[in-house]
Amino acid sequence: MEPAPASAAEAPAGAVAGAGGPSGVEPPWRLDAESRAWLAALKGHGRDHDEALGRLHHLLARAARFELYRRRGQLGHLPAAEVDDLALQVASDAMVAVLARLDDFRGLSRFTTWAYKFALLDAAVKVRSLAWRRREIPRPPEDWVSLVDRTGRPEDAAEHAELLAELRTAVAELLTPHQREVLLTVVAGRVPIDVLAERLGTGRGAVYKTVHDARRKLRAHLTDKGLLGAEGGGR
Amino acid sequence: MTGDLVGGLLGPEGPELGCDACFDELDRYVELELAGADADSAVPGMRDHLAGCLACREEHDSLLDLVAGEQG
Repeated sequence: MEPAPASAAEAPAGAVAGAGGPSGVEPPWRLDAESRAWLAALKGHGRDHDEALGRLHHLLARAARFELYRRRGQLGHLPAAEVDDLALQVASDAMVAVLARLDDFRGLSRFTTWAYKFALLDAAVKVRSLAWRRREIPRPPEDWVSLVDRTGRPEDAAEHAELLAELRTAVAELLTPHQREVLLTVVAGRVPIDVLAERLGTGRGAVYKTVHDARRKLRAHLTDKGLLGAEGGGR
Repeated sequence: MTGDLVGGLLGPEGPELGCDACFDELDRYVELELAGADADSAVPGMRDHLAGCLACREEHDSLLDLVAGEQG
């Protein structure tokens, strides 16, 4: 997923069209004073503009550090100085994304909250990429059923076994090879969706749509077989 | 591997946003949550998407914690 996912990959089938989306009904005067000041300065010129750019970079670097230190365990033994360098790089990349999408800011949150998410996304994507940079994507486990935790109430065992058997058949026979590989790699193989997307040369949204479509097929099949309730829960 | 493998394969029950729509709505959703408002009604499909997409959920949790920390 690019730091600025402006071009929305097609939402999954069944997505809530326009749910909470940019409806155009949110009047611009809902902008709080601080957010309005940010917008005016960033869209302006001269000294105020330059100062706003500096403050924005500082703000984004703070969010980047927050995320990088939160994920420090995934960065191995990366020295603190390199983490700080990475934070500045994230801040710079996120600032480009923020400025490119400034007109998308609708004032439905504070400007700083809106801007933060670009840095958090970019930092998260970079950490996942770094953590996997020397690792091959494992083949999806063919014996994924053996990975399922079967502990539970003994009286549920037979029902659970029936569901698993049907699920295994559905995964093998109903999904396309691409859907099967993507779903099992992400869910059973625990490969981060961004990492898989990067290796496939696509974006997070496109990979998630594949996951979503595969899940819908499996749910529909199990529901038809009476193994999931009407609302999709266990029988 | 835990028993949530089956849940992961089946995903959330309800209609859900895609990842890009999730990103677009994330800031508003988080602020509504922090304000104690009904974020799920305001942004239908978000809760199910966060249940189904680990990457988006992690970024949601980070934004929530970052902004909550600022608000003290």
